[in-house]
Amino acid sequence: MAAGGTSTMDFFAHQDAARRKTGLLILYYALAVVLIVVAIYLAYTAAFVGFKAKTGRPLQDLRQLWHPEVLLGVSVAVLGIVGLGTAYKIHELSGGGESVARMLGGRPVSPNTRDPDERKLLNVVEEMAIASGTPVPSVFLLDGEPGINAFAAGFAPSDAVIGVTRGCMEQLSRDELQGVIAHEFSHIFNGDMRLNIRLMGVLNGILIIGITGYWIFRSTLGSGSRSRSSKGKGNTMPIVLFGLVVMAVGYIGVLFGKLIKSAVSRQREFLADASSVQFTRNPGGLAGALKKIGGWTAGSRIQSRKAEHASHLFFSNGLASTFLNLMATHPPLGERIRRIDRGFDGQFASVPRAGAAEPGPGAAGVATGLAPSPPALPAQPRSYEVAPEEVMSRVGSPKPEHLAYAMQVVEALPNELLDAAREPFGARAVVYCLLLNAEQTARTAQLKRLSENADPAVLAETRKIQEQVTRLPEQLRLPLLDVAVPALKTLSDVQYGYFMENVDHLVRADEKIDLFEFALQRMIRRHLEPSFRKVNRGAAQYGSVKALLPESVQLLSALAYWGNSDLAAAQTAFSKGAKRLQATVLLRMSARENCTVGTVDAALSRLALGTPAVKKRVLDACVTCVGADGQVTSAEAELLRAVADSLDCPVPPFLPGQNV
Amino acid sequence: MVVGIVILVIVVVVALLVISIYNKLVTLRNRYKNAYSQIDVQLKRRYDLIPNLVETAKGYMKHERETLEAVIKARNQAATASEAAAKSPGDPQAMQGLMGAEGMLTGALGRLMVVVERYPDLKANENMSQLMEELTSTENKVSFARQAYNDAVTTYNTTRETFPNVMLAGPFGFTAAVLFEIEKEEEREAPKVQF
Repeated sequence: MAAGGTSTMDFFAHQDAARRKTGLLILYYALAVVLIVVAIYLAYTAAFVGFKAKTGRPLQDLRQLWHPEVLLGVSVAVLGIVGLGTAYKIHELSGGGESVARMLGGRPVSPNTRDPDERKLLNVVEEMAIASGTPVPSVFLLDGEPGINAFAAGFAPSDAVIGVTRGCMEQLSRDELQGVIAHEFSHIFNGDMRLNIRLMGVLNGILIIGITGYWIFRSTLGSGSRSRSSKGKGNTMPIVLFGLVVMAVGYIGVLFGKLIKSAVSRQREFLADASSVQFTRNPGGLAGALKKIGGWTAGSRIQSRKAEHASHLFFSNGLASTFLNLMATHPPLGERIRRIDRGFDGQFASVPRAGAAEPGPGAAGVATGLAPSPPALPAQPRSYEVAPEEVMSRVGSPKPEHLAYAMQVVEALPNELLDAAREPFGARAVVYCLLLNAEQTARTAQLKRLSENADPAVLAETRKIQEQVTRLPEQLRLPLLDVAVPALKTLSDVQYGYFMENVDHLVRADEKIDLFEFALQRMIRRHLEPSFRKVNRGAAQYGSVKALLPESVQLLSALAYWGNSDLAAAQTAFSKGAKRLQATVLLRMSARENCTVGTVDAALSRLALGTPAVKKRVLDACVTCVGADGQVTSAEAELLRAVADSLDCPVPPFLPGQNV
Repeated sequence: MVVGIVILVIVVVVALLVISIYNKLVTLRNRYKNAYSQIDVQLKRRYDLIPNLVETAKGYMKHERETLEAVIKARNQAATASEAAAKSPGDPQAMQGLMGAEGMLTGALGRLMVVVERYPDLKANENMSQLMEELTSTENKVSFARQAYNDAVTTYNTTRETFPNVMLAGPFGFTAAVLFEIEKEEEREAPKVQF
C-alpha cells in the first residue's frame, strides 16, 4: 500500500529518518569533494608539473605523481572554493522557506486577496492547515511559470512556505489542488524540508567547481590567442587544458549532485503521494493532477534558471528530460499514477483551459473559492476520551475526518472574524481579543493597558469584535489563530515590534498568568519571529530524555497545576505523566511557585531542541498528565495542542464523537 | 605564488560582498513592492464601496448632484491612478499620481459627508450607516497598510543610500522609492494627475 515498510512509521519516526539521511548526505558530499581534489590534482600535475622524472622518461614510477606541495595547494584551493560556495548558499537560504521561494521568482499571495483563483488556493491551504493543527503557511505564487508544479520549503513547520506555479493554480480543479497541497504538507511533516535546504547549500559548492573550470577555460582561451606572440614564454595551452579538465571534473560534481539528490528524494516522493491520499481519502484528486501534468504541454517544467538548484523540492520533475536523467529526482509520472490509481491506462488527460469544465458543486463555489458546503459543526462535547497512543499517532498524520472537520470549522467561524483574521489590520485585533481574559475586572485592566499603547483604530476594532471572539467555542480559537498567522507575517518590522509588545502587555496584565494565554503567546512568537528576525534553528541537541528531565518535570508540573485545583489531584496527574517518561530516577513535582512563565518558557525552549524520539516521549507524558482524570476537556485539549506546537509537533484538532 | 593566492582570495571576498549587497537590495525592493499590494487590496475595496454609497445617497439628496458627481469623478481618477501605481510601486511618477488622486478623493468624500449631515433621514438609513462604517474601517486599513509600505520603503532607501551599498545601487539600477503620503488637498493647486 504505502511505499516500502513506512506505513507503520509515525511523524516522529519520519523526522528521525530524515535526520539520518542528512548523515548520508554528508558522506556523499565528502566523497565527492575528495574525488574532485584528486582529479584536479592529477590534471594540474599533468598540465604544469609534468611527469618527467630526472631521467627524462615520462611516467616511470608512480611516485613521480606525488608532489605533496602541489597536493596541498590544490586541496586548499578546492576546499576553499567548495567551502565558500556551500557557506554562501547556506547563508543565502538561512532566511528559510521565503528565501527559497523568492530565489525561484515567487511572489507572496496576499492573505486577503480577492482574486478568485488565489482565493481558492488559499482556502485549500487554510483547510489543510487547520486539519493538521499547524498555522497556515505563507503561499507564494510563481507567476511566470506555465508548468504545473508546487513545492514546500522551510526549516520547520512554523516557517514553512508553499509555492505553487501559475499553471498549477489555474489548471487544476479544487480536488486536484487539494491532492497536490496535501502532498506538500506531507513533505513538511516528514521532515523533508530542512533536509532539502541543506541539500541545496551543500550542492552549490560542488556545482561551483564546474563553473570555475568553465571560467578558467573561457578566459584563458580568449587571452591566450592574444598574448601568444607577445610573451613568448610558454603557451597558455596547459591553462586552457587545465580549465577544460576542471570543467569536466565539475561535471563529476554535478553527477554526484544528482546522485545525492535522487538518493534522498525519490522514495520520499512515493511516500508523500501515499500520505496525501491518506490525508484526503481522494486518490482521484492527486491522480488527476499527475495526469494533467502528463497531458499539459508545459508539463511541470520550471523555466527559472535556478530550477536545477531546487529540482528536488518540486512536486514533479521540473527539468527537461535529458539523457542523463538516470538519476532523476522524481519517479516517472506513469508509475506514480499507477501506485494510486490501479486502473490507469497510460492516457494522460488533455487539459482544457481552466474553469471551462469545472463540474458540479465546485463550480458554484469558484468565485469565492469555497468548498462544497459541509454539514454544520456537530455539537461539541465538553470533554473527550483520550488514549495517549492515539493522540501520538495522529501527530503530523491528519486523517480525512480532520479535513472534513476543518471545512466545518471554516464554515462555523463568523465571516466577520475570518475576514478580519485574513488581513493584517484586523488580524492584530483578533489576536488581542484571543488574549483577553474571561473575567471582567481583568479584562478591563487589559483593555486599559491596550488603550495606552495601541493605535485608537486598532482599539476600536478590538472592541468591535471582542464579543464575537469571546463567544467562540474553545475549539475554534486555535484554528482562528492559525488563519491569522499569514496576515501577521505581512506586518512591517516596526509594526511587528509594537504588536508583540502589546501581546506581552496583555498576557502579563493580570499578574496571574494563564497557561493557555502563555501558550498562545509562544505560538505567535514562534511562528512569526522567523519572518522578522534571523532565528537560529539549532539542530536537535538532546538525544535522550535524561538530559531534559528537569525541563520535562517543569512542564508536567505546570500542566498538572493548571488542570487540577487541589494539590492531591495535581500530584496524581503529575505522577501518571512522569511515569511515561520512563526515567530511572524518581521524579518529584515542582512547587507551584516555581512554575512561572519564565521557567516554563525556558523549559519549552530547551525541550524544542530534543530529537523527535525525545519529543514524542515528552508529549506522550503531557497527554497522559492532562488526561489523568480520565477526561480531557475542550480547554485542556486546546492547551495540549498549543504546547505541542512549541515542540514543532502538529496535533490535529480533537474530533468530537469518537475515541481520538 | 603566494601573492597570486592572496589576490585571488581578495577578489573572491569582494565578489561575495558585491553579490550579497545586490541580493539584499533585491530582497528589500521586493519587500516594499509586496507591501504595496496590501495598500492596493484596501484601495480597491474603498473604490468598490463608493459607488454604493453614492447610489444610496442619491435617493435622498436630489439637489446635491454636483457633490455626488464630484465624488464619482474623483473615485474614477483614483482607481485609474492606483492601477498605474500597482504596476510599478514606488516609482515616483506613479506614486505622485496616486497620492494626488487619493487626496482629491478624500477631499470630495469629506465634502459629501458635510452635506450628508443636513439630511437626517439619510443618516438614519441603515444601509448608509453600514456603508459609512465600512468606509471608515477601510480607511483605517489603508492607513495601516501605508504605514507598513512606508516602513519597507524607508528600510530599502536607507540600505540603498548607506556606504558601500550606494556605490552599487546606481550601476545595478536600484532607484529610490517614494513614500506614500496622503496630501491635503488644500495644499495643492489643481493637481496635474499624470499617469
